[in-house]
Amino acid sequence: MSDVAITGLGLVCALGDRPSVVHGALCEGRRGYGVSPVLGAVADGYQVGEIPGFVAGQYLGPRNLRPLDRTGQLTAVAAELALADSGWDAEARAARELGLVLGTTFGSARTIGEFDRRAMRDGPDYASPLDFANTVISAPAGQVAIWHGLRGVNSTVSTGAASGLHAIGYAAQLIASGHATAVLAGGAEEVSFEAFLGFQRAGWLLPPGDPAGPRPFDRRRCGCVLGEAAGLLVLEAADLARARGARILGWIRGWGAGFDSRQDMATLDGIHALSAAIARAAGRDVAAIDAVVASAVGHPTLDTREGLAIEAALGARADRVPVTTIAGHVGDTQGGGGALQTIVALESLRVGSVPPVAGLEEPDHRLRLDFVRSASRAVGARQILVTAQAREGNACALVLASN
Amino acid sequence: MVTGIGVVTSIGVGRDAFWRHLLAGRSGISPVESFDTSRYRVHLGGEVKGFEPEPFLRRVSRHSMGRSSHLAIAAARLAIEDAGLPLDRIDAASVGVSLGTTSGEPHWIERFNDQELAGQRDLIGEEFVNRYPCHVLAANVASELGLRGVNMVIPTACAAGNYAVAHALDTIRSGAAAVMLAGGADAFSRITYTGFARLGAIAAHRCQPFDRRRSGMIPGEGAAVLVMEPLDAARERGAPIYAEVAGYGLSCDATHMTAPQGEGAVRAMLAAMRDAGVEPSEVGYISAHGTGTVANDRVETLAVKAAFGDAATRVPMSSIKSMLGHTMGAASAIEAAVCALALSDGRIPPTINLEEPDPECDLDVVPGVARAVQIQTAMNNAYAFGGNNASVIFRAVRP
Repeated sequence: MSDVAITGLGLVCALGDRPSVVHGALCEGRRGYGVSPVLGAVADGYQVGEIPGFVAGQYLGPRNLRPLDRTGQLTAVAAELALADSGWDAEARAARELGLVLGTTFGSARTIGEFDRRAMRDGPDYASPLDFANTVISAPAGQVAIWHGLRGVNSTVSTGAASGLHAIGYAAQLIASGHATAVLAGGAEEVSFEAFLGFQRAGWLLPPGDPAGPRPFDRRRCGCVLGEAAGLLVLEAADLARARGARILGWIRGWGAGFDSRQDMATLDGIHALSAAIARAAGRDVAAIDAVVASAVGHPTLDTREGLAIEAALGARADRVPVTTIAGHVGDTQGGGGALQTIVALESLRVGSVPPVAGLEEPDHRLRLDFVRSASRAVGARQILVTAQAREGNACALVLASN
Repeated sequence: MVTGIGVVTSIGVGRDAFWRHLLAGRSGISPVESFDTSRYRVHLGGEVKGFEPEPFLRRVSRHSMGRSSHLAIAAARLAIEDAGLPLDRIDAASVGVSLGTTSGEPHWIERFNDQELAGQRDLIGEEFVNRYPCHVLAANVASELGLRGVNMVIPTACAAGNYAVAHALDTIRSGAAAVMLAGGADAFSRITYTGFARLGAIAAHRCQPFDRRRSGMIPGEGAAVLVMEPLDAARERGAPIYAEVAGYGLSCDATHMTAPQGEGAVRAMLAAMRDAGVEPSEVGYISAHGTGTVANDRVETLAVKAAFGDAATRVPMSSIKSMLGHTMGAASAIEAAVCALALSDGRIPPTINLEEPDPECDLDVVPGVARAVQIQTAMNNAYAFGGNNASVIFRAVRP
């Protein structure tokens, strides 16, 4: 898989819309959450990682945005930025089939929820046909393909919190197998009433009024902040990237995925699929991994499971490889998370520093990992591991190499 | 290689019953019972009546999940039994799951909405987020069967089953899995029904693909899972081999969310044939998307003509949606099973309800009765919202 190049990045999240800006904010320990205008009173007292003042038109120009719901708009913006970053202008896109692989958990739970509630409240004749098209989970990918003229593979991948990372691995596999040559890959998720209520009722959220914010990997962690984000990478076959003179930001070195049963996810026991996924992603070069960007959001069990799996995979070097997570800063951005982690990892390779874990004071005593704490850490990294562990058992690992 | 087939449909559960009834041209369409359609102008659907998940559940509780998962687990168990796959002797980490769906577990968001509208927000509990998101389909299948390999849901709407099979093929070829369970599942959903009703796309009485008087599709439900494994492994354990998954092509119209354009479908078919190393004249059967809507069947016919050229009129192409209705994310998975069965059994299912052929749909659509014909290659076409096109090619494997 060493012939899959990364030639462009696009993201939008609560801490910004440029990889360097977001990476800088993470290194400074800034938090991207607060009161949520989108959620309003239902989220009273809770902090939410909503993108402040998000207006898609600022990025996408005067075209009619009505057909796109919030997830569609977030995705279209990330795609716009990634395409511009990689030099795939409209003319170049017309001459080649670009693909899109989008990771998402809900698509737009808001669109689906409101469509059905209106039909049930006012009668089926009052449901909107335009909104119906957006109720399918693949709608954001379809809408963005229309918006940007992406005529190649158009796929959507759902593996919960691993969706974004999984989408990147899936896209790399499409390129490696010769089924695509250039693919936008990543993930997106919006903040919605439905997702918020779901997270709240499941007990996944940091209790309201908690002043410290989420504390991934900390002994006292007690929940996450719901976030939103879209992140996309342009992946290309190496010969295509070279032939068109693209700037290569890094390489997909390998990926792996696996699954722990839902029953096992409640405990720390059992074999951890993430370990095997890391082993597959790293191949023979586990020793070459210089840093880890994990997915931990502040979940009491999940963070430990992810940490133990990383520890097992890194073996004797586990206590010497810097490990961070960005969900303490931006919240649990669900399907967007893995893409965000990957972009931050690439930026860490580029500038040679890894941002700290937000809120981490007393690391979980069961983990002997070298967490990046309080300040960013300078690293001369050449290869970086990105991991994702979903609540329902999906695990995914991606190894990136600098150019 | 496809070595096992599990199907749960409105005309039969399990490969034998399904295939027998499909060849006999039986319709699975009946009045909708899973929700009240009195406020709708249409009332028919392709529900799987009388389905009980219990016989298929050994590890997980039926109450911990929704109906799509029940359907998917049943199809997966049937496929594993059909393949004679000795799960207890295979490394669980090498067995993956790749499932397509349109709606995931729609009943759980419908319930959420009912509670919200009834002023009972307080009653919404942890079950919503634990049971609704679509990725729980594959998670529930793997949790029930104890599988630890690559696990994903590809919710690419009405083409999702083909996407799932295509992804499974790449996953096996890359060495990331030794066995893949690939397919799709969707439970009957009032959200889907409402939407297609609002689009005016649901036929009031019958689904009549390629008929001049066709008036739409009929939503259905179901699941299909294929066991896929490499030829060597299948031969070594003496497994039945239905067909080889020979290649695929995926594309996007990128012009309209709900109106098919045809141009993208042509590219997907050509890419699939190129990938499989197959000429149009070698394709012996096309499983059509064939929804029965005015637009789809006309555009699909034009696309097949454009992709196949002179060979188009010689390829039999039927739509089993005439019998099952449109089972959404399960549809192309069930149709993939049909392609594999057609190749191994030497018979192809009919398009039923065809009375007056539409001159604009003038291909050989196998009207009325099944046909015995030995074929070497079959193409499975599926098209979806978002302008998604997916073609998968299956090839016969002779012992």
